[in-house]
Amino acid sequence: MKTIDARNKDLKDVNSLLKEALNGMPVKVKNAAHLHGLAAGFKGGEIVIQGNAGDYIGVLNAGATVQVTRNAARYVADNMTSGTVIIAGDADYGAGQYCYGGTVIVRGNAGDFTATMNKGAIVIVCGNVGDEAGTYMLKGDLIVVGDAGENFANCLIRGNVYIGGNWKSLGSNTKVEPLSAEDKAKLKAYFETYQIDADPATFKKIVAASEKPFYH
Amino acid sequence: MAVIGAFCVSVNKEVCLNARMPGKCATCAEVCPHGVYALDSHTGEVAVQNFNTCVGCRICAEFCPTNAIRINPAEPEYITRYPWTFSTIEEIHYKAQTGEYLLRGFGTHGQTPHFDMITVVPSQIASMAPLDKYREECDMEVVIGEDTCKKPVVLKVPFVWAAMSFGALSKEAKMALAIGAAEAGIATNTGEGGLVPEEAWLARGFIDKAQEHKKWQPGGYLIIQWSTGRWGVSVDYLNTGDAVEVKIGQGAKPGMGGHLLGAKVTQDVSRVRGVPVGSDALSPCRYYDVQTLDDMKHMVAFLRDVTDYKVPILFKLGPSRPYADVAACIEAGADAISIDGLVGGTGCSPDIVTQGVGIPTVACLPPAVQALKDYGVHRKVKLIALGGMRNGLDAFKAMAMGADAAGFGSAAEVAMGCRVCYACQKGNCPYGITSQKPEMRARLDPIETGHRLGNFIRACAEEVKILTMLSGHKSIQELSPEDLRAMDLNTAALTGLKLAGYERPLPIWDVPGGDGRGNGKNGKPHPEV
Repeated sequence: MKTIDARNKDLKDVNSLLKEALNGMPVKVKNAAHLHGLAAGFKGGEIVIQGNAGDYIGVLNAGATVQVTRNAARYVADNMTSGTVIIAGDADYGAGQYCYGGTVIVRGNAGDFTATMNKGAIVIVCGNVGDEAGTYMLKGDLIVVGDAGENFANCLIRGNVYIGGNWKSLGSNTKVEPLSAEDKAKLKAYFETYQIDADPATFKKIVAASEKPFYH
Repeated sequence: MAVIGAFCVSVNKEVCLNARMPGKCATCAEVCPHGVYALDSHTGEVAVQNFNTCVGCRICAEFCPTNAIRINPAEPEYITRYPWTFSTIEEIHYKAQTGEYLLRGFGTHGQTPHFDMITVVPSQIASMAPLDKYREECDMEVVIGEDTCKKPVVLKVPFVWAAMSFGALSKEAKMALAIGAAEAGIATNTGEGGLVPEEAWLARGFIDKAQEHKKWQPGGYLIIQWSTGRWGVSVDYLNTGDAVEVKIGQGAKPGMGGHLLGAKVTQDVSRVRGVPVGSDALSPCRYYDVQTLDDMKHMVAFLRDVTDYKVPILFKLGPSRPYADVAACIEAGADAISIDGLVGGTGCSPDIVTQGVGIPTVACLPPAVQALKDYGVHRKVKLIALGGMRNGLDAFKAMAMGADAAGFGSAAEVAMGCRVCYACQKGNCPYGITSQKPEMRARLDPIETGHRLGNFIRACAEEVKILTMLSGHKSIQELSPEDLRAMDLNTAALTGLKLAGYERPLPIWDVPGGDGRGNGKNGKPHPEV
């Protein structure tokens, strides 16, 4: 696997090296935690960030698979439209925001405002999420295996929010529903695909109470 | 209260019940608290006995069973009844009845400080001689991103269309703006509602996607807006245009995100925005994915990266703290900054926000220009003035105050046929501009309307040219505040322009050790912003 050492390099250099290196073969990038916006807007390929990643890792991802072997900072996979972003450790504030599609997996914990304005992506957090996760979600799935903080799924419009643990408080326009057989099969498939140790039967599902909850 | 004799009372005898059947109705006489009407107990006839006592409360008109009464102020009501004007009373009634605040489209109305109390200083014998508009050239070009991008935007004349979204506007209106931009060699803007595919080739003057036949010369540009709702945004969307604009705010409702009411969220709009058909699409007021100015710098960095460092990055600001906000945009790496003033328009906004929030455009420009000067980037990072621009005269004044170009939003809608009914949010625009209904949209021919828009820009460009040349300049880049005078104290105080007659800025703009134009030793404007 080709490796790019990002030490002392700026975003423009590393992303252009990445563009050259991605020829059907996975590319590894190390020492990249100082770069914000790494692996932006790629339409394919596989990129492994060895160690920690900075903010906006995989932003505008449009088909690439981006893996981070340790922790990622804020705004993981921001505005992704397709592809997969997998964080082996924790993700900070705002992972999986504004995504139209693709999959975000955070194996550890994720911060506040995770999956805010999700518009169609699958966002799976294997640990806990902070406050305001799933705010103003319009489509897609947010799956939290652990616990959630305050105001969970606030202003939910559409899409599904699943949680294995508990929340501190639920946001507005939410209602708790039992999981259908379809939901369970879907979660089971996700858990198998991404090798997540969880039992769909113990999950709770949150959906929007109304599709039009606003007073202008 | 000086309301005596202030109103004219008229009763339409055609529909008045009493006029047709005396004795049958005397409601007006019964309800009027001031004895305006009198009932003749013998004949049963009601007549206006003393209109001089009318205070314009319109209780009679409200009670009249046949809606026969009209009360018109003899003097402007704003003088005779202020602050309890008819519209204020009606607004309170509306709120009391519905529990809802007022929403409306378009922009601010009423008196706010604007360009009208500024006059243009022509050349005579003591200054540079005027140039001849009819026989001499004038450089009107504006280049955005000249030193920073592989593909700068070259506006043939100093105008852009302000950002207006698909959703707020119909697809046909968006197409017309693109065609108008192509005809005039200026830029149109997607707004925040995603891309109408046709915009991409129409803006550049091409009739179809293949971009082989250029129908509209010289061809213009498409600015792609990146906003807080991120509707329809992907890496392909960003690469469709010739520039990316980061929207921070807008003049009509700074501090709030876009409002698109459910009535306008049709199947097409729903597909682009990802919100359910018929539900309100309310953009967040801030970027969820930006918490600090450093984040904004990183956002600009990745936007440049995904667009391959080709296109300029613009910022759009609402009117708040122009000096500090413009400085922040410069720090973030902007190639151009649009600053929208109080009078800026919108497809929908709470009435009180449109009317009561934000700084007038004329007062935004001096601090904005000062920030650019303090960073040494004035005329390099381009400043685009928005907010209530109506013609070449407004644009000229903004440019002489230091802007590089001006944007038309509301005026563009009017050029498309709008008559300003303030109801854009309802989606029933009879001209098909702000409606998503097929029967309304069918009334707007994008090519014909695009030509009207092109014409409007051509005429405004000629106006700018006239004013530039009569004040002795051969290029819009030579314009300066010396080309203007404020005609009243307020405008001189707000802008720091020289007061006509007094021939210097007001002393409040003087700072010890400053340059006499209101700039202190530290180069910052005074009072401190």
